Amino acid sequence: MEPLSNIPAGMRYYFGREARLRRAVEDAVMSVFDGWGYEEITTPSVDYFALFERGMGREEAARCFRFTDADGRLLALRPDVTSSVARAAATLFAGEARPLRFCYAASVFRQRTRSHAEWRRQERQLGCELIGAGESGADVEMLAVAAEVLERLGLGGAYRITLNHVGVFNGVAAQLGLDADAREQMRRHVDARDAAALEQFVARLGRSGETAARAGRLARIAGGRGVPSEARELLTNEHSRAALDELESLWRVVESLNLGEGFSVDLSDVSGLDYYTGLVFKIYVEGRGARVGSGGRYDELTANFGRREPAVGFVLDLDALTEALARGGDFDSQNVEREAALVRGTEDARARFREARQRRAQGERIRMDFET
Amino acid sequence: MLTIAIAKGRLQQDALDLFARAGISVSEEALASRRLAVEDESGRFRFIFVKPADVPVYVEHGIADCGVVGRDVLLETGSDVLQPLDLKIGCCRIAVAAKRDAGGERRGVLHVATKYPRVAAAHFGARGVPVEIIELSGSVELAPVLGLADCIVDLVETGRTLAENGLVVVENVTETTARLVVNRASYQLKSAAVGQLIEALSVALGESGSL
Repeated sequence: MEPLSNIPAGMRYYFGREARLRRAVEDAVMSVFDGWGYEEITTPSVDYFALFERGMGREEAARCFRFTDADGRLLALRPDVTSSVARAAATLFAGEARPLRFCYAASVFRQRTRSHAEWRRQERQLGCELIGAGESGADVEMLAVAAEVLERLGLGGAYRITLNHVGVFNGVAAQLGLDADAREQMRRHVDARDAAALEQFVARLGRSGETAARAGRLARIAGGRGVPSEARELLTNEHSRAALDELESLWRVVESLNLGEGFSVDLSDVSGLDYYTGLVFKIYVEGRGARVGSGGRYDELTANFGRREPAVGFVLDLDALTEALARGGDFDSQNVEREAALVRGTEDARARFREARQRRAQGERIRMDFET
Repeated sequence: MLTIAIAKGRLQQDALDLFARAGISVSEEALASRRLAVEDESGRFRFIFVKPADVPVYVEHGIADCGVVGRDVLLETGSDVLQPLDLKIGCCRIAVAAKRDAGGERRGVLHVATKYPRVAAAHFGARGVPVEIIELSGSVELAPVLGLADCIVDLVETGRTLAENGLVVVENVTETTARLVVNRASYQLKSAAVGQLIEALSVALGESGSL
């Protein structure tokens, strides 16, 4: 028999200092969402697998924990919240005035691919969604909310939010006439910033050496302030240029809001291309080697549930955030266990409980002492 | 300060020579010591020396911002790191090798001994060949000789070790060279320092087409 002391890989306990910090971070983040007028929503922990397959795409949904319902239908332990929120927007909230603003704090469960840095199979997501607003103002709101969250957590000056638009890559892929496999291959080279491999890839397509070299240079454009002027020279197709224009105007608003310092443009951020339809962003903070959050515009998602409307949102990984905050910083410095007083003494149990109740009502932390 | 993880062994000296050409040098004295973490002379970089397979681990966690490691290791570990530069050192290939006199008789399953189980499985999988992978941690050449496996998938630099054990290359799997790898968060949060490093190494490599 398997020893009961074993804990399944990627699962864990939280307690003490860490648990307090998680609670404080979650409360702080949710209060920022609340301040912007987002209403909390709790979605089902178990839902039909088909929902997530539609909502996240087949590849991502393949990582669900799956099991069958009494009638044989396939169920899944919630691997994300957005799919479920999108369904609710298209159905439960179909008649409500737009835009809808939802926020949530929820645990999600995913099988992990073999990876060194991300092994957890349960993670707590803090997220918000703005549904039914397509204007660039909605994109700006999302970025401003994210920045305010990070400031509230004392991470001002210690975070970086990278911006991109999926149209930049999609335009190039369309121009090169790539099929799905080739597109994915090229996406991987761009994602790894592997300029040499990208050049070879484009050259193998039978393109001129100049086109190949241009592709390589594109992957070398590192994160920068605003849209790099070099990108305009390198990208000749209209689709990509339109995407750059959108990014450019978004950047100008970000700067005018004095947020520029924490933001940069990263044209090589090409993850989740099948999911997002416009702006995409990633959130990094000092003290954490992988991103702590991500978001973007997903105008096609709600169409899966019968009502197409624009939507934008983002999600933060509570575990990643607390790990970074636990390494120092103001936010964790207030995190100490509150003193508790012991109430003991008299034989009279009723008197003891009465005293304890009175002192708790005055804000004290009281532990009952059973020794007499 | 940027922390750079260097794969010990085969690549170490070539990598340090390349960094020196890029104007980042470690004093002889520091190198002669047995310390596993040393600073360069400018104090802007810290080098740590770890086993090749551990380089992507340190980098993926962000404990090291950058690393130098062979493409063979990256393929095998499937690490989620950025690979902005081919450093063009440590050139060799991963190949399938078998006994010189191995018969051409086809069997139901091929027994493959290797230090690269993932690379080997992907290679034969793409060809629809059923394989049984036998993972070894060294002296892989012995396996076909002693009858543990039909063939091996291993790193081949000159082919001398293969020849001395009566093995020949049957098929190339892929070429490999050392790569500069960068942690995803460091690439964004320390973009200026990382950018300068990539630029300096590009120049040392004689690449004109950098930024």
